[in-house]
Amino acid sequence: MTEAVTRSSPTVDDLLLHHEISQFLYDEAALLVERRYDDWVELFTDDALYEVPIRVTRERGAAWEVSPTGRLFDDTKQTLAVRVARLNTEYAWAEDPPSRVRYYLSNIRVRPADQQDEYYVHYNVLIYRSRGELPEYELLSTQRTDLLRRTESGWRIARRTIIVDQSVLSVRNLSYFL
Amino acid sequence: MTAPVIPDYLHRMWETLPEGRIPAKIFNDPAVHTLEKQRLFSRAWVFLAHESEIPHPGDYVLRWIADLSVIVVRDEHGQVRAFRNACTHRGNQVCKAEMGNASHFRCSYHGWTFKNTGELIGVPYHREVYRGRLDRAEWGLRPVRIDTYGGLIFGTLDPNADPLDEYLGGFQFYLDFFLKPGPEGAEVYGPPERWVSDTDWKICAENFGGDGYHTPVAHQFGFALGFYPSSGRTHFMGYAVHIPGRGHCIGIGHTPGLPPFVGFPPEVVEGYMNALSPEQISVFRDARMSVATVFPNLSFLIQPFSLAPGQPGLKFCTMRLWHPRGPGKIEMWTWCLVPKHIPAELKHEIYRVYSLAFGAAGTFEQDDFENWTNLSRQHAAFNADSFELAYLQGLDLEPIADFPGPGRAFTPYVTEIGFRNLWGTWLNYLLTPLGEPVDPARVPPAFHPPETQPVAD
Repeated sequence: MTEAVTRSSPTVDDLLLHHEISQFLYDEAALLVERRYDDWVELFTDDALYEVPIRVTRERGAAWEVSPTGRLFDDTKQTLAVRVARLNTEYAWAEDPPSRVRYYLSNIRVRPADQQDEYYVHYNVLIYRSRGELPEYELLSTQRTDLLRRTESGWRIARRTIIVDQSVLSVRNLSYFL
Repeated sequence: MTAPVIPDYLHRMWETLPEGRIPAKIFNDPAVHTLEKQRLFSRAWVFLAHESEIPHPGDYVLRWIADLSVIVVRDEHGQVRAFRNACTHRGNQVCKAEMGNASHFRCSYHGWTFKNTGELIGVPYHREVYRGRLDRAEWGLRPVRIDTYGGLIFGTLDPNADPLDEYLGGFQFYLDFFLKPGPEGAEVYGPPERWVSDTDWKICAENFGGDGYHTPVAHQFGFALGFYPSSGRTHFMGYAVHIPGRGHCIGIGHTPGLPPFVGFPPEVVEGYMNALSPEQISVFRDARMSVATVFPNLSFLIQPFSLAPGQPGLKFCTMRLWHPRGPGKIEMWTWCLVPKHIPAELKHEIYRVYSLAFGAAGTFEQDDFENWTNLSRQHAAFNADSFELAYLQGLDLEPIADFPGPGRAFTPYVTEIGFRNLWGTWLNYLLTPLGEPVDPARVPPAFHPPETQPVAD
């Protein structure tokens, strides 16, 4: 499924594309770390979906392990903007003082999507979060699948699905973005 | 079971509770957590599952009563059953998945196999190694006593516990608002969301028993962004009802001038009209929101929210279980309940509104868990037993004499009467030795002057 970049003789274009996309994702993660949420939300297309399905412990061979309906986030660009507007008020207590969050991106795989100038990007994100003076921290291991669109104003996220590698999360809350 | 250790401050609490004083230590104390397992969760009716989670024969979910793993399963004949999730040979868990469908549960240690009726039907080398000394009828999965109300499946480990109907004590009247948005009832939307946090389950159960006091502050963003139809000026208005000695309590927020059943789609309004009694309709018709706790740790909330500020709100229903995982530690379970009879797209829209507000990422839940986690941490302090918390609201209120529903009803919505009854009920369980009946009549009065009014049902 990742023939665009992992075939035995990638072209220079493949390498450039991979570089371009990974740099975009690093820059995007930096916006979240720097709490530039208004800028971050603008990286989503107007028709974007942002979904974090509930992960369930199932028997091997069960029809699904990632819930087809249940969501931790079941968002569009519009509702992401609501979350950002909330964070911009003086009353987002869950993030005041703010959490210290960092995103470690790896295993980036790129393949073309059906539409021209659209690509599926599969990659892992390890998210670290520390809060207040507590020495304990939260770690979430996740896999993202993005549908990225190349536009005149740069790369945009048309769809993001995040699979969390826990069925019972070890978090106080999710007042940060995955 | 080891002899229970009862911290002295719990005896003092029995005296100070009627005056509206509660020792902070109850919210984070290893001794209290142990006592809760020994005397509360061993005897109360504990929520296990909603029937819509296991609609078909063989469907099962894995749940907890305190630290006991429980299988809740619908057998081949459609009967719901619950079992201790432990093989009777060595006690290994026979079910390791959160949910699924199975006609049998087979232990992965020595292979004992049980039907989903609990019957032991498979024992490797039965004849050769037991030589007729194992009576399979005696060694089935250990059943847990269950009962249901309005789609809710509860379990109790106490064979002498009052029947569920009596335990709910008239609270069914109020639960119907959350459970019966139509004659076909409600169903869960997707599996529950779960997370573990350093928060005591009790502060959550109390909050959802009707803490309208926190909303304008803890969730002030909602007012600031223009999400709420109410204003801070009228927010306290409405009703608070509790069932004396049983611990259940509900808050019903009113905003003057709102249309009846505002925020519910027409299909749901019609559903309520068909499913609820005239008395129930008169109580809930003008409710802006309502929030309720079934003692000890199951709660419900119906409130409006929208996908964008300024839009007319859409009402969603969340059901949540505050599962104790340790002193000051909770495993949170949250579901969205949707009316069964409405179109799939409408169910999803309601779910999207719910998930923007509740669940770990919910804009309301985020702030609640920030407060609850910090609060629970404070109460681990070595001297928190002498740190009294102010539970003083509504000490001198009189119950409403002609309220249409059961229990004791008060106005306004923002009061702490129900919480005093909640903690009195909790304390009654903790101070009543095993083997003695937990008598609801012993629970200290939650308000003064002394109860001169008859119960209004």
